[in-house]
Amino acid sequence: MLFPTIDFAVFFMVVFTGSWILRPYKKLWRWFILLASCVFYGWWDWNYLFLLLGSIGINWFLGLAVFKALTPEGERTNASRWIVRAAVVINLGILGYFKYFEFFATTIAEKLRSLGISVDTPLLNIILPVGISFFTFQAISYVMDIGRGEWRRPLNLLDFGVYLSFFAHLVAGPIVRASEFAPQLDETPDPRFVKSSEAFMLIFRGMFKKVVISSFLATQIVDPVFALPGSYNRWEVLWAIYGYAIQIYADFSGYTDIAIGIALLLGIRFPLNFDAPYRSLSLQDFWRRWHMTLSRWLRDYLYIPLGGNRGSKLFTYRNLFLVMFLGGLWHGANWTFVVWGSIHGGYLIAERVVKEHWAGHELGLPPLLVKGLQWFLTFNVVCLAWVFFRSQSVGGAFDVLGRLFSGSGRGDDVSLLLIIVIVGSVASQFVPNRIPMKAENWFGRLAPVLQIAAVAVGLVLIDAFGPEGIAPFIYFQF
Amino acid sequence: MSEPDSGRSPYNWRNLFRPFKSVREGTMPAGLILVIMLLGLFGAMFLNADATLRKSDAKGDGWRNEVASIVATVSDGLGITSLRGRVDEALGKNQGTKIDVAELLARQQAEEQAAMVSQQAEAAAKPPVLPAATPEAPLRLWIGGDSIAQTFGTSMQRISASTGVFTPTLDYRVSTGLSRPDFFNWPEHLVKDVLPANPHILVIMFGANDGQNMTVAGGKVLERYGDEWMTEYRRRVAATMDLLKSPTNDRLTMWVGAPPMGPGSKVRGMDRVNYIYWSEAQTRPWVQYFDSWPFFSNAELQFSASLPNADGVVRGMRQKDNVHYSTVGGDRLSWAVINRIGKLVNIAAGKVTPPPKDAPPPELVERTELPPTMPGAE
Repeated sequence: MLFPTIDFAVFFMVVFTGSWILRPYKKLWRWFILLASCVFYGWWDWNYLFLLLGSIGINWFLGLAVFKALTPEGERTNASRWIVRAAVVINLGILGYFKYFEFFATTIAEKLRSLGISVDTPLLNIILPVGISFFTFQAISYVMDIGRGEWRRPLNLLDFGVYLSFFAHLVAGPIVRASEFAPQLDETPDPRFVKSSEAFMLIFRGMFKKVVISSFLATQIVDPVFALPGSYNRWEVLWAIYGYAIQIYADFSGYTDIAIGIALLLGIRFPLNFDAPYRSLSLQDFWRRWHMTLSRWLRDYLYIPLGGNRGSKLFTYRNLFLVMFLGGLWHGANWTFVVWGSIHGGYLIAERVVKEHWAGHELGLPPLLVKGLQWFLTFNVVCLAWVFFRSQSVGGAFDVLGRLFSGSGRGDDVSLLLIIVIVGSVASQFVPNRIPMKAENWFGRLAPVLQIAAVAVGLVLIDAFGPEGIAPFIYFQF
Repeated sequence: MSEPDSGRSPYNWRNLFRPFKSVREGTMPAGLILVIMLLGLFGAMFLNADATLRKSDAKGDGWRNEVASIVATVSDGLGITSLRGRVDEALGKNQGTKIDVAELLARQQAEEQAAMVSQQAEAAAKPPVLPAATPEAPLRLWIGGDSIAQTFGTSMQRISASTGVFTPTLDYRVSTGLSRPDFFNWPEHLVKDVLPANPHILVIMFGANDGQNMTVAGGKVLERYGDEWMTEYRRRVAATMDLLKSPTNDRLTMWVGAPPMGPGSKVRGMDRVNYIYWSEAQTRPWVQYFDSWPFFSNAELQFSASLPNADGVVRGMRQKDNVHYSTVGGDRLSWAVINRIGKLVNIAAGKVTPPPKDAPPPELVERTELPPTMPGAE
């Protein structure tokens, strides 16, 4: 079930009503949310519901086992360490099967074939279950938090089921930690004070970004250019690259905005996942603003276990690179993602080196110009990496980049509207937070009948400006 | 309603018209939020009724379709759909006309009948005769269809131009086909905009967007791939093919069938529409069906994303969606189609020998006969 659909609207009306009626009855409410989440997930494919329920059961059991293996003071033991390792292996094994098995099987078969050995590989047609990466990451974080003694209160099976399957964040995040979610299960929010203004604005902003901006850029320039870069000139290719940067931001942050807004209407607060990433002045800053819950996850469950910065500079650089490299590989079995992660990892290291050696040096340039240059460089490095992220193959990415230097022609596909959308979207990142907050407060003070009209007209306009049908969110595939 | 401690009854309907005040800025009672959402959605439902019905007709969602029809009827009766209509008009969306392919055909045939001499009519029953293509007198090649035709067509445009004996034009429309003339009316476009340019060869490709319900005269919705749907689709295909016939029998249409679609694509029924294209082309000498299926499948004729070209190197033929062609796939198909054109038209004066890295292996051939359905295609 996709968020911007009539099916979801009907589903949410029922869930919203049931949730607030049942909220005082904590156990009943939890069962209700679990059931709703199962319906939401099963809407795609009921078969994968068993995978989700299996993940809930296994990880709940492992979490409990880890907790019991700790000392009474919460100190780690050998047993607890082994159970945590087993949990990581099981979770990553399942994820790996769905994400990488077919890739490796066909790659090996092709290599053998090139050596003259014919191997009959069955076409397994493994389809990645929607959102598997997200709920797997949450499950790993839960078991590891218990194993580290950071979360001293293992959830009961029902609470854990609600935590892992909660429909608002189930398929594309944000990646919420048990310590953020579980305490909210025990609270009884006051139904008289639901944060409606913020929620409505988030939902509409998200729908606009996804349905209008993302779809417009995809169909107008990004998809055609990345499909056949050889047919476009450098001007079109350049705008397609910038367009993709905006498309993926609008698509993913749009989804997250809707997810946060929906959860807020049910009285649950999710952590922020995007904070104007394209205003970053460095790549380090970018990763504090882009997919923030994944960055945090990679830091806490990969970078720190690898040793973090508790060693020499080279050791820190290695860890930094490894995290970005593996973060890239997480997106899928393709060298393009490896290159994407490597560009980020390499540039993050370069930034550190530059900062360490030249931090005190004065360039003699006006601070605003320095900031402008920093922004320009960061934005373009991010866009360069996106070329690999978006392309089908590394060769395809070089085809796109090559056209920046060799592509001549008229550039008919770059319209004024396209430029306005891209430039306007980048500019919107610099709008101070107080302005949308003012808009929220203004909306909240409107007479309810005007709010009703705004909801109705807003939905019609988004539908009219959008394409026929809704393309799935880009991040569902991860 | 607005302020829990204000003493005013929260259930007074007049509160709906008063600016809202809450003791906590930005908050509202859950009940009032429900009212706003419900009425807002109801409002949107009626304002957007025609667009929703159009999409529902296309999907043919059973009871959803019935609800959408009722809402559209009420909404039209109240005259409140004009807002969406005006927005669409301003955006230039959904401006397809209601002209039916049969009507177009009747018009064209009437014009032709008046002009065509009996000799020409007789000639039209034979395969078209096209002049030899030379660099001095290249043939006008028109390539068109849906988004799959875009990726293929861009390759075809580049490769055919490189032969030196074609002047290609690419004319694709994303999300289109023959099922939804309300969205884009291909027959009308062909007659009004394409044929007047008098192309010698048309390479046309549809199908991937046609697996949706069709609405026919009287508002009747035909369920996709049902018997009635198949009959109607066949009628539209046949009539479109007839539209493409040249009265002087000097135009060739290469109707390229759809390839198998891969896992996760959700595009179904390509085997069925291909069968219709193929069988209708059998009785029309001016239309040649090109069977792309074997060129994008394994030995068992099942979808394969990666395949070897003539140089033996395995390459990715499709995009991530397992629907559209990659550049390599587009090139492969283009060379195969040019090869086929070369068997019907003299193009020997051009550079028509494909590089092995771009062309399909020579042992790959089209099927001589297509089955009505293919196992594993669903």
